[in-house]
Amino acid sequence: MQIGWIQLRDFRNYRTLSWSPSPKLNVLTGPNAQGKTNLLEALGFLLTGRSFRTSHLAEVPFWGTAAVAVTGELHRLDGTVTVRRALERLENGAWRSEGAGCSWARAVAFGWHDVEILNGVPALRRNFLDGVAARLYPSHRAALVRFRQILARRNSVLQRGGADAAAQLGPWDEQFAAVGMELVDRRRRATAALQTEISRIYPCLAGECHKIELSYRCSVGEAAEPAALFAALERHRREELRRGQTIVGPHRDDVLVELDGADARVFGSRGQQRLLALALRLAELLPITEATGTSPVLLLDDALSELDPSVRDNVLREIEAAEQVFLTTPEPLPVAAGGRWAIHAGGLAAA
Amino acid sequence: MAHYPEPVARLIEALQRLPGIGPKTAQRLTFFLLKRPAEEVRELSEALVAVKDRIVYCQTCFNVTDEDPCRICRDPGRDARLICVVEEPNDLLAMERTGEFRGRYHVLLGALSPLDGIGPEDLKVRELLARLDAGAGTAEVILATNPNVEGEATALYLAKLLRPLGVKVTRIARGLPVGGDLEYADQVTLSKALEGRREIS
Ligand SMILES: Nc1ncnc2c1ncn2[C@@H]1O[C@H](COP(=O)(O)OP(=O)(O)OP(=O)(O)O)[C@@H](O)[C@H]1O
Ligand SMILES: [Mg+2]
Ligand SMILES: [Zn+2]
Repeated sequence: MQIGWIQLRDFRNYRTLSWSPSPKLNVLTGPNAQGKTNLLEALGFLLTGRSFRTSHLAEVPFWGTAAVAVTGELHRLDGTVTVRRALERLENGAWRSEGAGCSWARAVAFGWHDVEILNGVPALRRNFLDGVAARLYPSHRAALVRFRQILARRNSVLQRGGADAAAQLGPWDEQFAAVGMELVDRRRRATAALQTEISRIYPCLAGECHKIELSYRCSVGEAAEPAALFAALERHRREELRRGQTIVGPHRDDVLVELDGADARVFGSRGQQRLLALALRLAELLPITEATGTSPVLLLDDALSELDPSVRDNVLREIEAAEQVFLTTPEPLPVAAGGRWAIHAGGLAAA
Repeated sequence: MAHYPEPVARLIEALQRLPGIGPKTAQRLTFFLLKRPAEEVRELSEALVAVKDRIVYCQTCFNVTDEDPCRICRDPGRDARLICVVEEPNDLLAMERTGEFRGRYHVLLGALSPLDGIGPEDLKVRELLARLDAGAGTAEVILATNPNVEGEATALYLAKLLRPLGVKVTRIARGLPVGGDLEYADQVTLSKALEGRREIS
């Protein structure tokens, strides 16, 4: 799929912008703090209605403005869709993302902070995997919301304790096990889909042979039935009541990334971790294309910095497989094809 | 800082205790009422008192009613062997609007909600068990609590409690928008959910 054109009003440091990008590669250059990342964020917002950068929507409107509008046209082989989105301020001061999207629109975004998928806490890997699963299986996000609601209520029963706590947990345990295993199942399928792709992509990017192994580490091992999670809750009942929180379940799971048999989180060099993070994002392209019938838009923020020149060339070659790509870099890139754009103080010009 | 005259402050405070009404709205309502004719305001205050004086909970099904037992519980044309369990009187009304259900109801007056400290003893659960015990020959209990996590927990809790009594326990189908309220479901969706109910095992 491609973004045919996009229009912004009061999005971050863009007061107004109207832009028709190239259908293939777009290289966005410019000095620091001019709005390169902001523009990628706006493209992602057009496609998904969310920001890949922040969960605080209040950061997005141009300082002091009351409304943000993002409009654009999305193309794929069998048609064109106009998407209109907005951020609006509610009576209680919170901001809400408005507007309907398009069922096949997907963005895969990479930013420098993605290295934390490799070297950060398990919650970041779960978030990463949930993002992939939500792009592949749209019902994942609603199930996640439901799971968090159940978890909060279950924890509240555990915290209150009391003689009948075990009896009160019953209906929450049952839901926790059912929705929890639903999440686990989609996360496992997402992991398997990434595994196939990253085994091919990482060696291509690194320019040498490597073995990558992704494994979903679940608190109930390989089990797939809600009954297994239900039983695990019963086994941990006493400890959970003592600690006042749920200690088994998908909110405690992790993904192990092994590079040539060693835990990449512990043994990977910073460059390896960075390249693995990029490879993990690129590994989403094919599974999403298969699931939605069209290639997602790739948003790469500063993806080439800290990489060796030969690795950079490999990355540029690999992303040719994607349909439309937006790539920011602080300094101009020696690429022939596609559009080149200069970003300056919330404005854009052909370079 | 200036203060409101005592009666104004008192009304603002009273209104603020209503669900969904914050300080701003409470102020707006108060000053709106101040501007209305005395006649109209008296009517409102009388209506408020009348609800409390004349409306009671049916001691059988806990629906709101002006006569106990309520009209549905007294209606001999309605099948007493079928009991539909709902959270609130609003949900009962929504179910009635479908015109599909010809049994009786039991209103729990809430749902299990640990975050609000609401447990089974705060709901009309004991009263439901008593109704089944009374040997009215109940054939089926339909659990029509809301499709959100609280409603689902309530249904699971009741199913576990009722099954040993040898009564058939069913749950309305999941066609309802997940996380939504029964009250806001349209009549067709609700009829389908009722029709597609399944036995909980
Ligand atoms: N809500 C907002 N309103 C106005 N300006 C904003 C808003 N949010 C961020 N900015 C400004 O946008 C600029 C940052 O833009 P952005 O992050 O896109 O920079 P960049 O071009 O990607 O720079 P770098 O090369 O350093 O990554 C900052 O100067 C910041 O003050
Ligand atoms: Mg940037
Ligand atoms: Zn009644």
